[in-house]
Amino acid sequence: MGFNWKSAGCAGIVSLSVAFGATVASAAEIYVPNLSYRTGPFAATGIPLMNGQRDYVAMLNARDGGVGGAKLVFDECETGYNTNKGVECYEKTKSKAVVTQPWSTGITLQVLPRTNVDKIPILAPGYGFSPMSDGEVFAWAFNPPSSYWDGASMILNYISDGDLANLKGKKVALLHLDHPYGKEPIPLIEKLAEENGFEFLPIPVGLKEMQNQSAQWLQIRRERPDYVVMWGWGAMNAGAITEAVKTRYPMDQFVGIWWSGYDGDLKLVGEKGKGYKTISWNVPGSYPVLDEIKQHVVDPGDSLIENPEDMDSIFYQRGVVISMILVEGIKAAQKHFGTAEIDAAQLRWGLENLNITDEVLAELGMAGMTVPFATSCDNHTGHGGGWMLEWDGAAFVPVSEKLSPDRAAIEPLEAAKAAEYAESNAPWPGRSEVPCE
Amino acid sequence: MLYDVLIDPFVQMVAVPDFFLQVIWEGFVSGVLYALIALGFVLIYKSSRIFNFAQGIMVVFSALTLVGLHSMGIPAIAAVPLTLLVMYLLAMSVERVVLRPLVNQPDIILFMATIGITLFLIGFGELVFGGENKVMITEQLGIPTGAFELEPFGGFVLIEQKDVTAVTMAILLVVGLLLFLDRTKMGRAIRALGDDHQAALSVGISLSTIWVLVWFIAGVIALVTGIVWGARAGVSFALEVIAYKALPVLMLGGLESVSGAIVGGIAIGILEKIFEIYWGQPFLGGNTETWFPFIFALLVLLFRPQGLFGERIIERI
Repeated sequence: MGFNWKSAGCAGIVSLSVAFGATVASAAEIYVPNLSYRTGPFAATGIPLMNGQRDYVAMLNARDGGVGGAKLVFDECETGYNTNKGVECYEKTKSKAVVTQPWSTGITLQVLPRTNVDKIPILAPGYGFSPMSDGEVFAWAFNPPSSYWDGASMILNYISDGDLANLKGKKVALLHLDHPYGKEPIPLIEKLAEENGFEFLPIPVGLKEMQNQSAQWLQIRRERPDYVVMWGWGAMNAGAITEAVKTRYPMDQFVGIWWSGYDGDLKLVGEKGKGYKTISWNVPGSYPVLDEIKQHVVDPGDSLIENPEDMDSIFYQRGVVISMILVEGIKAAQKHFGTAEIDAAQLRWGLENLNITDEVLAELGMAGMTVPFATSCDNHTGHGGGWMLEWDGAAFVPVSEKLSPDRAAIEPLEAAKAAEYAESNAPWPGRSEVPCE
Repeated sequence: MLYDVLIDPFVQMVAVPDFFLQVIWEGFVSGVLYALIALGFVLIYKSSRIFNFAQGIMVVFSALTLVGLHSMGIPAIAAVPLTLLVMYLLAMSVERVVLRPLVNQPDIILFMATIGITLFLIGFGELVFGGENKVMITEQLGIPTGAFELEPFGGFVLIEQKDVTAVTMAILLVVGLLLFLDRTKMGRAIRALGDDHQAALSVGISLSTIWVLVWFIAGVIALVTGIVWGARAGVSFALEVIAYKALPVLMLGGLESVSGAIVGGIAIGILEKIFEIYWGQPFLGGNTETWFPFIFALLVLLFRPQGLFGERIIERI
């Protein structure tokens, strides 16, 4: 611990490089802003993700000189996970941006209509509005490799041993942040509860109550749900896990969405959190891509992480995967349009034609690190699925084969909600200006 | 419906008394913690008429300093006084750099200055300590982490030892503070300054010394608050948010009353828990703790505009 000169220095270098890039733009450059949050109540979970994203891009710039001959200018705009600031950041960066990465479901919902007008694709891996999956309606929005509704479906399938009928007569609580993100799975779980005869109990946690959830856990003690599913973020995760340990809620009946599976939160309770599970579309481990990042970014001192061990974090590695998805979209667009310096519309095409196979992942040094998936004109998510991970007291380890969401159960709701969104935001352009090729 | 709202919650309280006791205990612990935060606001307002917006970030900053010093290999027993030294230096800097140049400025200017202090401490804190979650050094500080299991009325009530420690520390701090304000020369000087700046200055009380002292005491309160909150759910910048929980406490207890902060904090802690469990969750979808304390405080203000323990201000025109 001590004054973090490295962070300050790197931040300065990033700013200078961006400024320099803006004034002496001789080589091909692609401006990829990130609406990040390294400050505020959600910083603890935001920082490792942003570091992973940033370092993957820095590695490509250092090792390959960028992507397809174009240097990536990765610029962070700080939102503090605040929706208003997020919208300001979107407006500030949109003139040069080929993509917007809003990093919050609240911000995603706010910029969603604007991106149709500004013609900038939204890339929201594993977050945002689940019906964005419907590419026929949301031409400019992408949420690969799995949506929140995919996550909810996989969790329910897992706890019901693959048959939701097994949940009949049982009670499933959703402990969620009282925020658009936390409310996102409610429509799907309500529908599945009605169809399969289980009781659904949403338990909201306010921003100011994240670190003192005694009322919510008293409710859990009173209601005795058979399972608690968590949709938490930031300090809420650690607060919930601490309270679960305190109330002695059985950890093997407590499952979180991928944003509630941060090893940094579980380390606060260590052994006592043993058995807690999280669905995840990345598996933490040692991958060749991490060695490349270490060699080209961390060892030369160009990363913002303080210790190389920080690279083992599940969120850092997820940040790497997220930048990989963006870069693969850029590569697809460059190849298709035959230009290094692609624009936003071309990247939209690239993100719509992603094909991340096992072979591609192996080539990138990421075999087994994330799920393979492919997007298309009508499928902007890919629905790649995920794995169930379990906290073993020191780290998250996979405890399932790759799981897939029950798409047949989700698709009708997805189509209905997408149509409802388009109708309430009429005239919604849909695919009128960007027809499927 | 009327039965469900007006009668049934009370029936449940009697029918499951152990659960009701647990609700009361959890509310009491929360209330004590709210009171601790409110105390920091009260102390500074009492002596300088400044609403210290920075109290929340001072909680974060002191807790991060303590954990940061310990992670550098300094034992907990030495890290605590060193953190207090840092808080003293912070108090001196605030007085010298921010408050002294703004003497005699309108209250709103001083309030805005504390927002500036908040923003500075957020940025400085993140630069020095990073924004990641840290684990409070609970065991190293000798805070027990087990729990007492009581079995009243054939049920069970779980009382965490760290919550008992938090309550004990808060009580000791409050008693110490009350004795200091009542029985010492410096304490009386703080109260005198709060009553009348001009009169206090005319009898030789040093404004700058008192301001450093009250900001340091607010820093001590912040450290205690940071330790007890951090022991519950880790130390991160999210702790700053809990400062907002002190606002209804201040509305209820009055900005100038130490007793008001204590009584207001405990009252709000217990009442918000009871309302949430017996009315909020069954009838309003839960999460009423975000607004109930404000509604309750507003209702009190309708009848006592100065708060429960605040002083009635009479202005001669």
